[in-house]
Amino acid sequence: MSALAHIGGSPSGTSTTAAPEPTKRGGMAAYLLLLPGLIWLLVFFVAPLVQLATVSLQSQFPGYPGYYYRNVDFGNYGRAIVEYWPHFVRSLLFAGLATFFAFVLAYPLAYAMAFKAGKWRGVMMICVIAPFFTSFILRTIAWRQILSDEGPVVSVLNFLHVLPGGHITETWVAVVAGLTYNFLPFMVLPIYASLERADPKIIEAGGDLYANGFTTFRTVTLPMSMPGVLAGTLLTFIPAAGDYVNAELLGSDISTKMVGNGIESQFFKVLGGYPIAAALSFTLMAVILALVFLYVRRYGTEELL
Amino acid sequence: MAEFRAAKGDLVLENVTKSFTNFTAVDDLSMTVPRGAFFALLGPSGCGKTTTLRMVAGLEQPTSGRVLIGDTDLTGSRPYERPVNTVFQSYALFPHLTVRDNVAFGPKRRGAKDAQAQADATLALVQLTHLAGRKPTQLSGGQQQRVAVARALVNHPEVLLLDEPLGALDLKLRREMQVELKRIQTEVGLTFVHVTHDQEEAMTMADTVAVMNLGKIEQMGAPEVLYDLPRTKFVANFLGQSNLLSGHVDDTDGEHIIVSAAHHKLRLRKSRAAAGSGDIAFGVRPEKTRIHNTDPGASAAGNSIGPGTLLDVSFTGVATQYLVDVPDAGRWAVYEQNLDLDRIDSRPGDTVWISWDPGHAFGVRP
Ligand SMILES: Nc1ncnc2c1ncn2[C@@H]1O[C@H](COP(=O)(O)OP(=O)(O)O)[C@@H](O)[C@H]1O
Ligand SMILES: [Mg+2]
Repeated sequence: MSALAHIGGSPSGTSTTAAPEPTKRGGMAAYLLLLPGLIWLLVFFVAPLVQLATVSLQSQFPGYPGYYYRNVDFGNYGRAIVEYWPHFVRSLLFAGLATFFAFVLAYPLAYAMAFKAGKWRGVMMICVIAPFFTSFILRTIAWRQILSDEGPVVSVLNFLHVLPGGHITETWVAVVAGLTYNFLPFMVLPIYASLERADPKIIEAGGDLYANGFTTFRTVTLPMSMPGVLAGTLLTFIPAAGDYVNAELLGSDISTKMVGNGIESQFFKVLGGYPIAAALSFTLMAVILALVFLYVRRYGTEELL
Repeated sequence: MAEFRAAKGDLVLENVTKSFTNFTAVDDLSMTVPRGAFFALLGPSGCGKTTTLRMVAGLEQPTSGRVLIGDTDLTGSRPYERPVNTVFQSYALFPHLTVRDNVAFGPKRRGAKDAQAQADATLALVQLTHLAGRKPTQLSGGQQQRVAVARALVNHPEVLLLDEPLGALDLKLRREMQVELKRIQTEVGLTFVHVTHDQEEAMTMADTVAVMNLGKIEQMGAPEVLYDLPRTKFVANFLGQSNLLSGHVDDTDGEHIIVSAAHHKLRLRKSRAAAGSGDIAFGVRPEKTRIHNTDPGASAAGNSIGPGTLLDVSFTGVATQYLVDVPDAGRWAVYEQNLDLDRIDSRPGDTVWISWDPGHAFGVRP
């Protein structure tokens, strides 16, 4: 990072020494070392992406549902967006809400783990990671039980008369809760890592320089953990926006479906839906990339850009 | 919210003790640092220097005892309530803030309207104006050190605490910064409490040095006084080097006491002895002694020791260092400046005697 910063910053005063030019053999070795990674990317990322892109531009044989021919038909994108724009809105909204709630839950937890847990730190870490040992689907189904009309949550809320609709499953609340729950560890771990790495002396320096506990948190601890917060929000938002399992298992048939559900049904349930599914996938990817780009530009630290 | 205490005056530690679960880091320590002094706390690693500073800063609370500035008792108050700032051993600069914002941090927290201007003025004092826009990671160790000093100084604390601020710098930079810190202290006139384990640093910089060992202050005073007349064995060896010989007081002779040790009767001024009777350790600095290849005789009686066997001679340019084995008195070091034209020509194995001016000898508790 400091190397990047040096390039960006104005090196007034001290002279920055130019990096020695790599020798020819050194350069070759670097490329050779990169090769396995490049091949991996080519086979498992670029190739499927190209394949998906071509599918998204195919046209159907008229009269033969399920058969396509190679074409450059951008109409698929138009049809996908017209039909699925509410799903896009829901995807971004639910993922945004889940990211927000995950942050609100994760920050105090990560803070406690980093600064207050003492000997319990290891136990807390295991508790955060342990859910990964069971299947994502199983855990989501378990939430369906927990949030069901006969389950403890709804019973208590109904008893207190604070649940207008009378149930949680089949509503967006259940979907957002499921997303929040499933992606919480991805928020906790990077924030914890950034807090744990912070030198306690720096936080003490805040107190030494006339900042009380809360001001020190606001002006020192929180800004220092921003790289972790940024990583956590990205690791939560990106997969949550593309998720379909939570909406499928916890949401209703229509009104809480997300883009992922649209893609899934076009791929597996609609005859001849492949081009639309591919176009949806690409559109979702573009939207997420654009949002992430804007977000990182706005809040990103030098460490990430 | 608790409020800032604008205390003024000397820094006073009264019977301060700090115990951790199974360890007493600072043990019933009392000291007074006069307002405006450059005060050095000198001691080996682990003797409790950092713990002492942290109690003054409020980052640690004493198990018992009081910390005062002037008449204001600061014991129990929070760090942000004290007119005290710290230059941390690891600098502890805020990595997410620029140099200027690091320095402006304290004034901002205290609601200063001109925090940035104050920061700029202080950066000028430490000659860092040209780096004000950089982040700490873009600075060298020496530059970070100056930022840490500026960040504390800008608040004009009643007491500035420096915890081994030069420890991470290389020798040349360390010497430069010693001069620089001394200049800054003279310029701003604040009380500096400078912690170090480097005796030379303590002696060159401070008006008053407190030598600390095992959580206690062994001796405190002006560097010249401490060096000339150490009161404990620890001080005699930690501050420079000493030839020490254990014995007991045998007799008195007017202004002198006679110390009997290793078959010798050594004379010691009463005013320079830590005890007037009983056991005592006789000491003299190597550079205060001379070497002879004949018995210096009756004229030096009581102020010489020998014969001994010369073990080693090393020529260092300005001086020649001799190492002498004196039977039952251990190894003695002699540093002689190369002033004489007719220096004795001696080599290892020779029989030699050592003498000194009686005014230079001292007696410490055994
Ligand atoms: N928080 C703590 N818990 C237990 N022991 C400590 C703590 N802080 C310091 N100590 C112990 O107190 C002693 C003095 O430490 P310190 O004041 O840092 O010494 P110095 O700064 O002189 O090197 C050391 O032996 C250290 O291990
Ligand atoms: Mg220390």
